[in-house]
Amino acid sequence: MNPSARYAFLLAGGLGSRLCLLSEKRAKPAVPFGGKYRIIDFTLSNCVNSGIFDVGVLTQYKPGSLRDHIGSGRPWDLDRNRGGVQILQPFQGSEENDWYRGTADAVYQNLVHVRRKRAEDILVLSGDHVYKMDYGPMYEFHRDRRAAVTLAVTTVPIEHTDQFGIVEFDSRGRITGFQEKPGPGEARSTFASMGVYLFRREVLEMALAEDADDPHSSHDFGKDLFPRFLARGIEVYAHLFPQYWQDVGTLDSFYRANMELLAPRPPIELADPEWIVHTVSHDLPPVRIGAHARLRTSLAANGARVEGQVERSILFPGVVIEAGARVIDSILFPGVHVGRDAVLTRVIADKGVDIGEGARVGGAVEPGEAPAPNRLCPEHLSSGLTLLGTRATVPPGRVVGRNVRIDPEATDACYASETPDGAHVASPPGASVSHGAEIAPEAAASRRAES
Amino acid sequence: MRRVMAMVLAGGRGEGLGVLSMPRAAPALPFGGKYRVIDFTLSNCVHSEIFKVALLTQHQPTSLVEHIGAGRPWDLDRLGGGVQILQPFVRRERSLWYRGTADALAQNLNSIEDAQVQHVVVASGDHVVLMDYGQLVQKHEESGARVTIAVAPVAPERGHRFGMVEIDEQDRVRRFLEKPGPTDLRWASMGLYVFDAGFLIRALAELRGPDLVYDLLLPALEAGERVQAFRFAGAWEDVGELSTYYRASRDLLSDRPALRLDDPRWTVLTRNEERPPAQFGEQAEVSRSLVAAGARVDGTVRRSIVFPGAWIERDAVIEDAIVFHDAWVGRGAHVARAVLDKDAIVGEGATVGAAGDVDDASGLVAVGKEAVIPAGATIAPGSSVPVGGGRGRGLPPEASPKKVHGEWPR
Repeated sequence: MNPSARYAFLLAGGLGSRLCLLSEKRAKPAVPFGGKYRIIDFTLSNCVNSGIFDVGVLTQYKPGSLRDHIGSGRPWDLDRNRGGVQILQPFQGSEENDWYRGTADAVYQNLVHVRRKRAEDILVLSGDHVYKMDYGPMYEFHRDRRAAVTLAVTTVPIEHTDQFGIVEFDSRGRITGFQEKPGPGEARSTFASMGVYLFRREVLEMALAEDADDPHSSHDFGKDLFPRFLARGIEVYAHLFPQYWQDVGTLDSFYRANMELLAPRPPIELADPEWIVHTVSHDLPPVRIGAHARLRTSLAANGARVEGQVERSILFPGVVIEAGARVIDSILFPGVHVGRDAVLTRVIADKGVDIGEGARVGGAVEPGEAPAPNRLCPEHLSSGLTLLGTRATVPPGRVVGRNVRIDPEATDACYASETPDGAHVASPPGASVSHGAEIAPEAAASRRAES
Repeated sequence: MRRVMAMVLAGGRGEGLGVLSMPRAAPALPFGGKYRVIDFTLSNCVHSEIFKVALLTQHQPTSLVEHIGAGRPWDLDRLGGGVQILQPFVRRERSLWYRGTADALAQNLNSIEDAQVQHVVVASGDHVVLMDYGQLVQKHEESGARVTIAVAPVAPERGHRFGMVEIDEQDRVRRFLEKPGPTDLRWASMGLYVFDAGFLIRALAELRGPDLVYDLLLPALEAGERVQAFRFAGAWEDVGELSTYYRASRDLLSDRPALRLDDPRWTVLTRNEERPPAQFGEQAEVSRSLVAAGARVDGTVRRSIVFPGAWIERDAVIEDAIVFHDAWVGRGAHVARAVLDKDAIVGEGATVGAAGDVDDASGLVAVGKEAVIPAGATIAPGSSVPVGGGRGRGLPPEASPKKVHGEWPR
């Protein structure tokens, strides 16, 4: 089939509440990853690298930063006269179809966009995952089997099966059982659906129309559509994808997936010229490394400047590490400034965070030790990471514990006398973070240039 | 500035750059860890709001043409104006290569006429400078001169390399000596001019010889035309020689570089290659260096500039070196006072150049594009390795990091 007739819907509405601070002001696909990317870059790049140049991105939750990121689609070569990328926001129509009621409803409400497309199959993707996949072989598999629907599946550890749609399939790949997020011990396999679905077009159109009229449906592909397909004997196939695929839906998995990039042979190769992960690149100079700096087992993006010591860390564009500072096991988003002699350990700092001179933030967790979980989000922030929101400040000399959450825009006045393990530092009253005010690396650089 | 266009002389053969100029025109030479020399002039044009830009190319234009493309990185992909590449072309009545700077302009006279501008900035594509051409044009307009020459102070011992000008207290040019012997004149022409468009068009039509200085500027001065100087105090370097290229590069590593690559108000725009962040290994030692995205450092890097995709292996040491895109320095190799061109390979344990006086240009080593230094070999200070040199000897011709190590990019 002519790949130019391929069309993909990319579901990017994700709330991502388990990412805590990182996804409170942006949709999960827009969360920064790997030193210069956003999570959605992997899926968008998969599309163009697979020859799919017609993509509708479905957004709903906090789409601002995603919209800014994708723009006209230039970095992905998706600014096209025909096809290209379109951002599809919920709209008001004649019926009650206001907000999307679920993933299936989001696609249903946007089927109008494929009405004039020639695509015989419709690909539905999730913007939440980190993986490099050529969708071409999946199309071939789908055609060979004359499948109505094909799901890409991967193996996951047995203890994580409760987070995924779990499938069973026969030797030809035909799916014989589907469990959506089975309880502990109930999973009948370790094959998880990757959120990559290929539908025969008419199957998708009929199924979505029917689902939309079902008052008992939660309008979700995993929960409602696939079980219904199986119950009716519709041919649903599983296409096994044996390579790296990572759901970065929790803080811990987000942190781990980033840290895995620091291995000498990382599980996902970002430097492969045959499979470039495209993103928005800023015009920033190369990484500048000072006379007394040390930079080991780390990634640093253009525009970063390092005078101090950095170990096992990821520095996004425009990050500055002043002399005498030490950054260990940390992820610093664009424009973070670490003052002289400050020490950061196991910290994730969002854009524009400012760490005062001599501050000590976070810490290592010794084996067998369990620091107090965070007061505000104990279920997400308990492994010892410390999280700082956009443009938060840590006062000079301040000691901040582990599992601490410091809200966006927090200033010196927001801190209590101590900030021990598990503490929460709230934003100052009246502070609001609009995505439009996000700090661009250039702006951060200019702020420093003036100081 | 809709009334201004820029003609950028980008044909330079760059003979002083030796093997580095073999595969490319001097303006396409990589500089500063991710840029090409031409980026500086183009960025100056755009930031000065000059959106009609013509590049006059001749020698090895391929890499320049690829770099410029439709001009997108500089926002010069425009319906009106934008960037044009003017290569000599075959004509009905005559077809000639450009014989000189003025001849190149004269052969493209129609481009200047068609642009319908009041002023024409003529700039050199192999200079590294960050400068607001707007001020230059403004000064030119105010003075009512036919020509304004941008000038910069140079040390007396370097005067022989430049066109030296004598200016009076009103900044009017009184004398212009092209590459004089020892001189007490302090101001050098930067090879950057703004011309009154009507004057330039007439002068080009009546041109008697091919050179902009000898056949256009000097006759104009002699004829008593008003020629002004514009004093420029910032950093400026003609990088058409290996020694000046190396010096300008090393200056970027000083504590306060004269040329600011991180000025958000005057960003140097370039074609961004999509590369991952720079990667630093477990035993990396890096100090006083620039390392671009896509580079990988597992060894030791001191006072050096490392371009995208270059890879310094474990136990390798590079110091006072400049390593272009995708070059590879194998384990245990030692590279000092050297420039390695794109895709060069330094075999394991090889020695290229030697530490020493960085101001002594005679000790510099230049390794040509795609050259291969066999494992354990020694390249003496001051020598150069030709483009592709060593392929087929020592290492098999298909040798590359990817072949040696089995997979990309290891």
